[in-house]
Amino acid sequence: MASIIDIKEECALQVRDFEFTYKGATSPSLKKVSMPIAKHSITALIGPSGCGKTTLLRAFNRMHDLYPGNTYAGEIEFEGRNILTPKEDLIHLRTKIGMIFQKPTAFPMSIFDNVAYGMRLQGIKNKTELNDRVEKALKDAAIWKEVSDRLKHDANGLSGGQQQRLCIARAIAVEPDVLLFDEPTSALDPISTQGIEKLVIELKERVSIIIVTHNMQQAARVSDYTGFMYLGELIELGQTEELFVTPKEKLTQEYITGKFG
Amino acid sequence: MTAVQKRILINRIALVFSTLSAIIALGFLFWILGILVMKGMSALNWNIFIYEGAPPGYEDSGLKHALTGQLILVGLATSVGVPLGILAGTYLSEYGKNSKLAHAIRDISDIMMSAPSIVIGAFVYAIIVMPMGHFSAWAGAIALAIIMIPIILRTTDDMLQLVPGTLREAAFALGAPKYKVILSVVYRGAKAGILTGVLLGIARVAGETAPLLFTSFNDNFFTTDLNAAMPSLTVTMFNYATSPYEDWQQLGWAAAFILSMFILGLNVLGRLILLAGKGK
Repeated sequence: MASIIDIKEECALQVRDFEFTYKGATSPSLKKVSMPIAKHSITALIGPSGCGKTTLLRAFNRMHDLYPGNTYAGEIEFEGRNILTPKEDLIHLRTKIGMIFQKPTAFPMSIFDNVAYGMRLQGIKNKTELNDRVEKALKDAAIWKEVSDRLKHDANGLSGGQQQRLCIARAIAVEPDVLLFDEPTSALDPISTQGIEKLVIELKERVSIIIVTHNMQQAARVSDYTGFMYLGELIELGQTEELFVTPKEKLTQEYITGKFG
Repeated sequence: MTAVQKRILINRIALVFSTLSAIIALGFLFWILGILVMKGMSALNWNIFIYEGAPPGYEDSGLKHALTGQLILVGLATSVGVPLGILAGTYLSEYGKNSKLAHAIRDISDIMMSAPSIVIGAFVYAIIVMPMGHFSAWAGAIALAIIMIPIILRTTDDMLQLVPGTLREAAFALGAPKYKVILSVVYRGAKAGILTGVLLGIARVAGETAPLLFTSFNDNFFTTDLNAAMPSLTVTMFNYATSPYEDWQQLGWAAAFILSMFILGLNVLGRLILLAGKGK
């Protein structure tokens, strides 16, 4: 019944019959979800609250493992292997699949140390290399001009939009292949939102992006592919323009025209 | 009298009584502080810091022995109690979370916090002083550390839990192992709160007398031997203040003043750190 587009280009991730059950829940929160995630493009996940879009997003970097008792079934293929197996090295996986959260999560340390955090975890100690890569990440995240003269200042002194761009700089500094965005602009003002959206579009040249959003216009503005989820199922996945203009499923049409939400 | 007039009258009576009560309660506080400052200041002089205890009537008598003893006892207790308290608090917040064991530890620690300190003194007397056969600085420091641990454990636990979960998730999402997340992100976020807890813990034990009577006891002379009885400001104060000699009573006031200022200073510092942490 679900209408899933067949993606011709290379895929960054392949989700197959993925089921996810939270600890203590009697029924799964995600039911038999299958979808491809195209490389170097932006896939948006939309749907009403509680539809499972964030749950799906947090499965890609196994964030659910921080809270024991949840169960996975099915598979998510990344770099030719199923990342849901117990032997998956989560530390390595999370350096390959980065995440940006709803609220900016600047660490209580200087701007420089924030961006260097992930690289230092990987054992990079060389000062010149750190300096160069921090500068590059901040430039790529379009925040270098605003912070270049106060890299040693506390990151919590930045505005919300700046902090979110700092978090993006921190995530891309470790050069991941995939970036997960969990409603990255829902805590920001319209101007900061615009900045982040522009940045997300620029970033797709280098990383594959999955973005969860409550805001349909945002999905329409930034994404190449959009998946509509409802009650734990992926109802439709298609090219963004097609999905918003000529949805194949009745549920999708009802949702995007505002009949429910 | 109308209903509204009646309510206004009741309101006034309540206001008068609560204001009076506040004045009486604060009055005692300022009375104590006033006498302490008056008598303490007049008893203060440089000799106090230069000379150790002497029999009554000697000019050259001071509190050097008790001041050093106090610093050694509190210092030792801090070096035992602070790491244990912080690590246990870290376990509760980051590992035990809502497990049965964690809840049991929290409950027991709350009970320990309100346990009379003399009971802890008696406990240390039974397990350390009795088998060793003599009083010692070690025993005193351990008794103080036991009193300190639950305070630091609970503040650490509370302060770590105040660090937003998303901050931890963000660090994990960058590929950080758990111990790194705790050391580099969670501790940093809770730094001010933990430091305040430590200072309040030290302030709390610095004023203890009862557990020391059983453990480090007292000595009228300067000593740094951790295996022997050791003087402290509190026990010295007790002995001097209750003696019939006026010069000893003077030293007792000086000890009371110094100790109060030390504890007041720690409390103020703790609050300042917390305020500075919040201001960010």
